[in-house]
Amino acid sequence: MDYALQQLLNALAFGAEYSLVALGLAVVFSIMGLVNFAHGEIIGVSAYSVFLAAALGLTSPIVAVLLAVAAAALAAVTFERVAFRPVRYAPTTTGLLTAFGVSIVVQNLFMLLISPKPQSVSILNGLNQMWFFGPFAVSSLQVMELVVSGLTILALVLFLNKSTLGLAIRAASRDFATVRLMGIRANRVIATAFAISGALAGIAAVFILARRGSVSPDLGFGLVLKAFVACVIGGFGSLAGAAAGGMLLGFIEVGLLVALPQEYGGFKDALTYVIIVALLVYRPEGLLGQRVELGDKEI
Amino acid sequence: MSENAEIIAARPSGAATGVGNGRFGRSLVGGLVTALPVVVIGFAILAFAPAYYTHLALAAFVNLIVVVGLQVFMGNSNIANLGHSAFVGIGAYGVAVLSTPLAMKQLSIPNAPFGLALVELNPLVAALLALCVVAIIAAISGKIISRLSGVAATIVSLALLIIVHSVFLNWTDLFKGNQAFFGIPKVINLPAMLVASVVVIVIARLFKDSRWGLQLRASAQSPQAAAAFGIDARRLRLVAWVLSALICGLAGVLFAYFAGTISPKLFYFQQIFMTLAMLILGGMATVTGAVTGVIVLSIGLEFIRSIESGVTIAGIQLPQLLGLSGVALGVVIVLCMAFRPGGISGRLELDEQLSRLFRRNAR
Repeated sequence: MDYALQQLLNALAFGAEYSLVALGLAVVFSIMGLVNFAHGEIIGVSAYSVFLAAALGLTSPIVAVLLAVAAAALAAVTFERVAFRPVRYAPTTTGLLTAFGVSIVVQNLFMLLISPKPQSVSILNGLNQMWFFGPFAVSSLQVMELVVSGLTILALVLFLNKSTLGLAIRAASRDFATVRLMGIRANRVIATAFAISGALAGIAAVFILARRGSVSPDLGFGLVLKAFVACVIGGFGSLAGAAAGGMLLGFIEVGLLVALPQEYGGFKDALTYVIIVALLVYRPEGLLGQRVELGDKEI
Repeated sequence: MSENAEIIAARPSGAATGVGNGRFGRSLVGGLVTALPVVVIGFAILAFAPAYYTHLALAAFVNLIVVVGLQVFMGNSNIANLGHSAFVGIGAYGVAVLSTPLAMKQLSIPNAPFGLALVELNPLVAALLALCVVAIIAAISGKIISRLSGVAATIVSLALLIIVHSVFLNWTDLFKGNQAFFGIPKVINLPAMLVASVVVIVIARLFKDSRWGLQLRASAQSPQAAAAFGIDARRLRLVAWVLSALICGLAGVLFAYFAGTISPKLFYFQQIFMTLAMLILGGMATVTGAVTGVIVLSIGLEFIRSIESGVTIAGIQLPQLLGLSGVALGVVIVLCMAFRPGGISGRLELDEQLSRLFRRNAR
């Protein structure tokens, strides 16, 4: 029973992290159709800022957390301004490849300017402790991941539903042209979407740093690939789908870890993707995606 | 959209009216013209270059074949494919497992399943079998990918890459995992590679100009209009995917046969980044673009690598420049997408550009 509870918590924590990152991807995709492969590098920028700040003498974990989120939001907005604005009205494939290019550039810049090897960051290790609830020992990090992700998603939902800008973002995902006719600035909507996406990535970066205790150039890349998969299972562009897809992915991964014998543990990733691809055979448009007539998105 | 009109206008006047042999002949000649720069460079290297450059050239030719294979799917269907290295890897490991001499296998994979440790095939037979495996995996994955919309298809192509890579890494009895797989017979030299490159370029061009290629490009431009004409875009995407995979698989086979040693990381993101940048820089709409991109970036990257691997400035070695070639690749992609999404060669093949040029001069 104890073991089952522990694995359930594992799955929830993994799922929460995937959901956060997948939501960041979905917010951007839903309004401008950009498949942001550089999202992992936003996580990277955030983590490396904490690394640099710690190297320069920062000791307070709370400041480090705030710095991580702020740096990620800033990085996301900067990427949009520098790289994605020129291709804003281009076809999806152009945007996707641009983002891929940005991702390569930033990853290699980390390598070039800092180091290709992992660098240790211990400032956030304090988040990762064991908490004891009566007979149960749980990782504080996992509990925090779950709680913080839940609160963040709640805040996001409130923002999207209650504020004017949030309303504009939701409207923009349906019909950007009309939103602009209503007198909302396109640049502001898109910049807000990127800032939200960046902040979500920053929160994810905090958890990654606390768990791994080190930074490396490809820090966010693998995670974002999984988040993409979560988006695809959920239905690309659907926010609820991204969150649900992330959770499902967490459960599939932990389920495989439990079910697979030790010596086949290496096949976990391969099997995860196989299961997901198999899901797509039955629902090519994703679990919560709508069946869009081909060509509907063309303006 | 304006791009549609451009493409329709860009159809060379002859190709639209020509039927049967005329059209086939024209694109065959066109393919050969496209391959001409490759042949010239190949002969120049054969005649003049020292052995070190021959080795570099062989690697560049492998990249050329991969990029042309990538163009067959990406250029015609306009769906980004980020998983093509999976097929390169399957081709390479296929021949590695099938054709490595038994004595070598005793050392490297003595416990291979299905009695593969006791198999030593003729390199040609091994290559054909490896390509069969590529075709089967491509048909299965293509069946799924061709059903998905553009973005989801791209993500699934990535998933395929990760699945295949993870199998190479973890099925150690068959693929030696992270370690290098050595002892593959080195049966490929530069002339053979040259012939393969030309054949692949011509095939890619013939496919692009064929009825299927034209229909696929039309359905990428406007899915609804193409569907209204009765074009089955899914089936065409599947055909292009399998052909593309076979060409990439062939590149893997050739790579294994000239390098003699392979390891999984060769067929992972590094190769994806590089070949993708080559195709984008050259222009993914044309086979000429694929060829141009490979030539330009191969030379450019070799130059950057010579800086990267440690220039000594004023007696100080600079090993930190690791990553410079990656930055260059990424910058090439980003700048290309922002300023010239069509790449260097744009939307016309080399022979079409040449015939335009001559027509203008004659006037």
